[in-house]
Amino acid sequence: MTRSWRNDLSVGLALLALAVALPFVWPVNYVVTQVTLFFVWAVVVTQWNLVYGVAGIFSLAQMALFAVGAYATAMLGYYLEWSLWLAMPVAGLVTVVVSMLIGLACLRLRGPYVALLTLAIAQVMYLYIVNDTACFTNPPSGCMPLFGGVRGVTRFGDLGFRELFKQDWRLAHYFLALGLLAAATVFSVVIIRGPLGLAFRALRDNPDFARSRGINRFRTQLWVFALSALFTGLAGAFYAANFRSIGPTVFSFSLLLFLISMMVVGGVGTIWGPLLGAALLMMTDEALREVQDWRDIGLGLMLALFVVLLPRGIVGTLRDLAHRRSAGRGPPAA
Amino acid sequence: MNADVVIQIVASGLTLGAMYAVSTIGLSLVWGSLGMLNMAHGAMLTMGGYAAYFVMARLGLPHVAGLLGAMVVGAMVGLLVYHTVVRTMLGSRSFDTNVIIATVGIASVLENVVLKLFDAQPLPQPLVIGGSLQVGRVHIPNQNLLILGVALVLMVAIALVLQRSRAGRAIRATAMNREAAQLMGVPIGRVYAQVLMLAGALAAVSGIMVSSIATLSPTMGGDPMLKAFIICVVAGLGNVYGAVVSAIALGLLEATAQYVIGVRFGFALLLFLVIAILIWRPYGLFGRRQVVRL
Repeated sequence: MTRSWRNDLSVGLALLALAVALPFVWPVNYVVTQVTLFFVWAVVVTQWNLVYGVAGIFSLAQMALFAVGAYATAMLGYYLEWSLWLAMPVAGLVTVVVSMLIGLACLRLRGPYVALLTLAIAQVMYLYIVNDTACFTNPPSGCMPLFGGVRGVTRFGDLGFRELFKQDWRLAHYFLALGLLAAATVFSVVIIRGPLGLAFRALRDNPDFARSRGINRFRTQLWVFALSALFTGLAGAFYAANFRSIGPTVFSFSLLLFLISMMVVGGVGTIWGPLLGAALLMMTDEALREVQDWRDIGLGLMLALFVVLLPRGIVGTLRDLAHRRSAGRGPPAA
Repeated sequence: MNADVVIQIVASGLTLGAMYAVSTIGLSLVWGSLGMLNMAHGAMLTMGGYAAYFVMARLGLPHVAGLLGAMVVGAMVGLLVYHTVVRTMLGSRSFDTNVIIATVGIASVLENVVLKLFDAQPLPQPLVIGGSLQVGRVHIPNQNLLILGVALVLMVAIALVLQRSRAGRAIRATAMNREAAQLMGVPIGRVYAQVLMLAGALAAVSGIMVSSIATLSPTMGGDPMLKAFIICVVAGLGNVYGAVVSAIALGLLEATAQYVIGVRFGFALLLFLVIAILIWRPYGLFGRRQVVRL
């Protein structure tokens, strides 16, 4: 146990040092912006990994939760004119509540049924936002539906970094996102290595046995939905603040595909896999930018290949190999 | 609401329902016998619709060739899914969720291949017949009658194959208990391949139907697939006969809703219904827990 803690700590610190140094070694605006976006997606997949990888609940609602955080921030800023610094944490809490409701709805379902239910929930949110054309307010810029309709919500202010740091605002956003990712990673490591993580894995691997040992499925499932939502909502809140706008495109299927691929390629259920996967997928995406038509074909192939041939992802497979070499027998349980 | 309106609603509702039934049977059959949620189902529909277009509009062959061509292409896609995904993954840990991810990947590849080959512009489906039948003061397009007829023939054919043929018996046996069927000498690999090919061919026909009353586009499969999921959930995943009943009910409901409340929130309401059913009756309206339904 202590050795794995120490390993996690050293990997984390090394990555953190690398991330802090990057914008000074490579001070290109485009790089800084893209890496900031990488931090956001990395936060989402590390939290999604808690639900899908560690607790084994195949929820497809993670991007909907991300959208809840983003929309809550934007709407608090737009309608109530709150400072985004206040709106963001509140949006995080709103996301936790919504996620617990989704968790309650999923309680009686398993496997593919959970996937269908969560997909349906995300689709209902999307369809409602896109089809709602009744004007909630009538600002000079034109009719404004409650959730902004197809155009989304804009003009809700930003974090104030553009005024404060002038042309260095991108760096400020970069470090804020990095801080968010660092906090989210520590959060997920503590959960995975702690007693709750053990309960999640026990319910995933052998639900009947776990219950006979006194693990309350109801409470545990609510915990995993609540915990994984906090940083997902905050990531969404930051996303809205960073781009100063939010629209229904965050519900798109190709974005969902992109984020699932991150988890699957890196290693579902591992601590560092989702981070590695997010980095690899962002780089692949960048490499395929020149041949835009081939992007989705490439991503789809990669996803199918990994899930068929390397279902435990890069990190999971490497760990299996390491364990097999040291122990001389099968893969570990967790 | 007068008699003409009722005839109109029933006619279009039955057409929609028949169309949904054809696309749902394949999905339900695959779930029932393989235990997999095939997310490439929408891509099968799309490939079928475009195959008929290619055979008729580009090669200039007659209607029957278009239909057969589409069914062959659909079956080939099913075979592709079997060989690339199912064969290697079957029996592996968490097959039921991993197969969803894998088929999502395949669906993305197929959809974008169609996009590259035929462009994003919507195309007209050439496999249509003109004219209409007059009932009272209502004109019912012959195309709708054709859809209804073809759907009926296909449903009867599927029921006969499942209940009367040797292959159908093997499919039912595999659905009931994979290990027992295997011990009795059923070649389950071949059964799986057959089921996926059958589902692909059915999806292709439904792709032609859907595109004949709308248009062909690379993303056309998404909407019917989502509706097929809804129908499957309502019927209980894997319940083929329940799926047919639910499909026709859904078609009639949709036609009525379009007339009464307009199309805007219709689909969102439908999804909301599914959420409610899943929470209230997790195994569908007709489904019972852990019961095989073929």
